[in-house]
Amino acid sequence: MYHFNILYFDGKFSVTHQATLDLKPDHWIIQYVDQDQNEQIVQWEINGIERDLGFNSLYIFRYGDFPKQTIECKDENLLVSLKKLYPEKAFFRKKIDLLINQNGTVIAGLACALAGLLAVAYFYILPWFAETVADKIPISMETQLGETMYENVISQYNKDDSLTRSVNDFVKEIDFKTDYPVEVTVVKEDKMNAFALPGGHIVVFDKIISKMKTKEELAALLAHEVAHVHYRHSLKSIFRSLSGYLLISLIFNDINGITAVLADNSNMLLNLNYSRNLEKDADEKAVVILQANGLNLKGFADLFSLLKLESKDSETLNLLRTHPLTDDRIKYAKDVAFHQKGIRNNEKLEKKWQEIVDQSK
Amino acid sequence: MEEKDLRQVTFHGEGSKLFGIYIVNLLLTIVTVGMYYPWAKAAILQYVYQETEFEGSRFTFHGTGKEMFIGFIKAIGIFIVIYAFLLICIFSKKPLIMSIGFLVTYAAFILLIPIAIHGSTKYRASRSSWRGIHFGYRGDRKEFLQEFIIGALITISTLGIYYFWFIIKIRKYIFGHLRFGSISFAYNGGGTDYFKLHLKGYFLTLITLGVYSFWYVKDLFRFFVDNIQMEQDGEIVKFRSTATAGGYFKLIIGNLFIVILTLGFGTPWATVRTLNFIFSNILIEGNLDVNAIQQTEMDYRDATGEDISDMIDIGLV
Repeated sequence: MYHFNILYFDGKFSVTHQATLDLKPDHWIIQYVDQDQNEQIVQWEINGIERDLGFNSLYIFRYGDFPKQTIECKDENLLVSLKKLYPEKAFFRKKIDLLINQNGTVIAGLACALAGLLAVAYFYILPWFAETVADKIPISMETQLGETMYENVISQYNKDDSLTRSVNDFVKEIDFKTDYPVEVTVVKEDKMNAFALPGGHIVVFDKIISKMKTKEELAALLAHEVAHVHYRHSLKSIFRSLSGYLLISLIFNDINGITAVLADNSNMLLNLNYSRNLEKDADEKAVVILQANGLNLKGFADLFSLLKLESKDSETLNLLRTHPLTDDRIKYAKDVAFHQKGIRNNEKLEKKWQEIVDQSK
Repeated sequence: MEEKDLRQVTFHGEGSKLFGIYIVNLLLTIVTVGMYYPWAKAAILQYVYQETEFEGSRFTFHGTGKEMFIGFIKAIGIFIVIYAFLLICIFSKKPLIMSIGFLVTYAAFILLIPIAIHGSTKYRASRSSWRGIHFGYRGDRKEFLQEFIIGALITISTLGIYYFWFIIKIRKYIFGHLRFGSISFAYNGGGTDYFKLHLKGYFLTLITLGVYSFWYVKDLFRFFVDNIQMEQDGEIVKFRSTATAGGYFKLIIGNLFIVILTLGFGTPWATVRTLNFIFSNILIEGNLDVNAIQQTEMDYRDATGEDISDMIDIGLV
């Protein structure tokens, strides 16, 4: 079983020689008849023989320095004989053989594992990464992005100029403890909603203002939204949910694409789903702001109650729907209000509030 | 008139086998944060060559992951140096230094393209063989660089119009220096014809809302293939394309469906279809003596060019 039919190439010419191979303990003997009908014998020392990485049932061996001699053999028994005759010679160590040549189940399993890996990367790692990136973006760029998004969003609404002016006057009386420039826009809309854009823009629907009874409620609402801006919640959430698109833009090295994607999706801001933790952070920051300004925290609880009340007859109450666990938050607000000290009377703010009330009635 | 021999290269690869290689490659590349890439590439090339047959014998790709890894590291080194230089210039915040930084980076990339083309052609050729006879590329780097830079500058100064003549010049240079043992190659196409082909293809594609694009690619493929010739001991052997627009339509639309419907996992099958299409549509015409090709080329193992060209994504041939 140590005799095989093979094809032999001498490395000098492309002619194919029908040859025979004999396996000896320390060398191989190749015999063939050349073009001039001369009998030729070639000897290969075992240590100089290499096997090509094989993907099909053709076994290829090479020998010598460049240009190498080559033999090809289709006989599967060759491998069996090689194993028997040279057990210590690594003709079979190519581990990739195993993976590719046989096991369909292994390949299918690996394919599933890969798909799983990609899914995990897409749904968990990528959003996390996007959020981290959002954290590192310079304020100037954030403001610019916010500006682009603001222009996109606001073009779909009917702006209430005089109310906007009054509310911004109101804003100037409160110290929001943030470096972002707070800029409120009031729009005419028959819904109870308000949302924050990256960089300092806050959009408030006029209906929610008309339902408010005290200046503290408005201050609480604004403080809460400012907190979202301050902690970059909206930017992070947008990056998170658009991380797939952003990745594609990054791959194609298209920075303008990122701006375009964000602009196209500005409407998402309306329905952004902040996580419970982000809401809690924003509530806590809002409490700090209100306290620092000596405003009664009861306004905070009143705001939530107002929202809760309204949610009963309005199914599309975004502000509440996306803010989970309102009861918990009412309780929290009442709690902090109960322990609050240092409430001051702020005549100026009260005056500004009255201006707003007069207009929104 | 003398009867001419017709020969063809055939491809025997299977999508399922290629799929296996792809999957293993992808996993290992992810696990090793990209470091496995050279081995992944070697495995695919080895497989594809091994399944490509001419006159009863298979081709062989001799390149190894290790060789390409060394090239990979060198290529990364080159890019790090270029980017580091650019970053230093940017951080200086002085407009003059910054613009110098951009200019130098730009120039470096333009220089890298011909270096990569030269290096990868030379490496790829030397590492390819059939019946033990190696291909080889005898182009001279300096000469090629000169030709490339002059061509690039003319292209820029003619607002891109010279591009078509430029491409043909590069093809002529590369094929003119390509050897398969004692066989030499040549490329006969002319820039003017190439330009007309693009002009016609572009406008007809626009007018027909894209329908003509299948004829367009067919024409480009034919222009590429039909202009290649081999010479063996004074005997001219020509290449001829038999690809049709209908064939291209089936190939492209089919591949699109395969890739999209499988969310990309069907890519290996699409690759196999493409290779099958290409090889089955090239006829080799002439009196080639397949037994008399003589080994002439030297060994060459530096894969840096190969890796640079991967990084700047040059699609060769």
